[in-house]
Amino acid sequence: MKVFNIALGILAAIGGFVDIGDLVFNVSAGATFGYQLLWVVVIGVIGIIVYSEMCGRVAAVSGKAVFDAVRERLGFRTGLAALISAQVVNLMTLTAEIGGVAICLQLLSGLPYRWLILFAGVVLMVVVWTTSFDWIERIFGYGGLCLLVFAVAAVKLHPTWSAVGHGFLPHMDTESPLLYAYFAVGLLGAAMTPYEVYFYSSGAVEEQWGPKDLGLNKANAMIGYGLGGFLSFALMIVGGSLFLDKGIEPEFLGSIALGAEVPLGQIGLLLALVGILFAVGGAAIDTLFSGAYNMAQYLGWEWGRYRHPSGAPRFTLTWIVLLVLGLGAVMTGVDPVQLTEYAVIFSAVALPLTYVPILLVANDRTYMREYANGRVANVFGLVYLVVILIISITAVPLMILTNVGQN
Amino acid sequence: MQIRALLNRRALGASLLFLVCAFATGCNGGTVDDHALKRDAEKVASLATEGGLLANDMSKGASTKYFARVHAKELSQAASDLADALRSRPTSPGIEPDVRKLSRLAGRVSALLEQLHLHPTDRARAERLEKPLSDRADDADELSK
Repeated sequence: MKVFNIALGILAAIGGFVDIGDLVFNVSAGATFGYQLLWVVVIGVIGIIVYSEMCGRVAAVSGKAVFDAVRERLGFRTGLAALISAQVVNLMTLTAEIGGVAICLQLLSGLPYRWLILFAGVVLMVVVWTTSFDWIERIFGYGGLCLLVFAVAAVKLHPTWSAVGHGFLPHMDTESPLLYAYFAVGLLGAAMTPYEVYFYSSGAVEEQWGPKDLGLNKANAMIGYGLGGFLSFALMIVGGSLFLDKGIEPEFLGSIALGAEVPLGQIGLLLALVGILFAVGGAAIDTLFSGAYNMAQYLGWEWGRYRHPSGAPRFTLTWIVLLVLGLGAVMTGVDPVQLTEYAVIFSAVALPLTYVPILLVANDRTYMREYANGRVANVFGLVYLVVILIISITAVPLMILTNVGQN
Repeated sequence: MQIRALLNRRALGASLLFLVCAFATGCNGGTVDDHALKRDAEKVASLATEGGLLANDMSKGASTKYFARVHAKELSQAASDLADALRSRPTSPGIEPDVRKLSRLAGRVSALLEQLHLHPTDRARAERLEKPLSDRADDADELSK
């Protein structure tokens, strides 16, 4: 049963690291630049492992999740700014993920999109209401593992392995350096999306981790996000091998599934669609919970899925309201894929508001005692803080200059 | 306190900037110039090529009925939207014939993809549609140069 203990990391990684935004950004990056941006995924994976381990450790030692730290460290006003930006990004992402679930169901069933949005909303509501946290992790985390079909597809497409290897070394061979930079920032922003750490740290509190679980925390962060990174590599290689030479710009979830269908046929297609369904569904639940966690932690409410819904009524009401808002937004006909690109860029802008407080608390010996950051964790933390600041400052200008990656 | 103030200002500034930018980049209209023509021609070529890939899989029985139907419709709709946009947007002087040609081409690609959408289990038809889709992709590629 030990293997089930890393389900939190796998769900956080599958639902957070390989959500609709990552699917789109990774395959598009491959279709535009081949394997050149693989090294960016490596940077992103290490970054999210560093900060997830840190916030999981804070949760295990102090029992405090990210937004407890944000409120305590940034104060009410700045904390409020962080809360608002986090909730806006969460809602945008939730909307995109619900739309993604409906598109996936449509590609599997052929039924009308709008009915499937409602169906997706009802299923999410029932699952979140009736299913325990452990089973949500297992169902969506392990269901999302069907995405491993993209690793098989990547091999079957016979990429030039020397070029793939070269992609892990930072280099830029393009006439469009701004577009290259936009994709690099987008990939990093998607890899380090804040809701991943909100969900991960709150999940650690839900699972009542203590100092004895610090090894489990490391394993969750490294295996979960390592797996997410591996899937990102596979998606980018599929994009580079199948779409680049043909000049295809993958703009739909169906285009991504086609990446598994072409080399593997029907079975590849079905596994890809089921994997995407669970990954995107898991991401919808991640964002739904993250929104409710953030609100409850910031305002000091009772929260948690281990409580009966009536034991944490404001927490329960918050996720229900978020779900209804997300459903309403996606019913307006907004394109989930386009929306997710904006969500990734906006979350990149807001990254410091999440990661600075984590670093501060992880260094506070009054909270963390002997479990405070050591030298290695601080070096990585500070280096990534610089990376985060660069991403945050450049994200919007690059989005404008490249017309959201269109030029 | 300095960190708080800095983060506070950044958050507010970034939020406002983001909203402005979302509106600025969200506008997809405007005049069709050489650059827009090239981009749109590449998009038409991309949609036709992707349709060709799908048609190839359908002809081999490697796709599913619902996937083929839904994805072909997405591609067809995108090509149709592009054709409409090219028809209605103002055009820079000197490139009107190419823009009209591309609009017609996008319409044809949309019609071919619509055939895939309407007959998702017809393998012979899918095989027949591969070549015209590939030819239209080549035509669009020509216009993008």
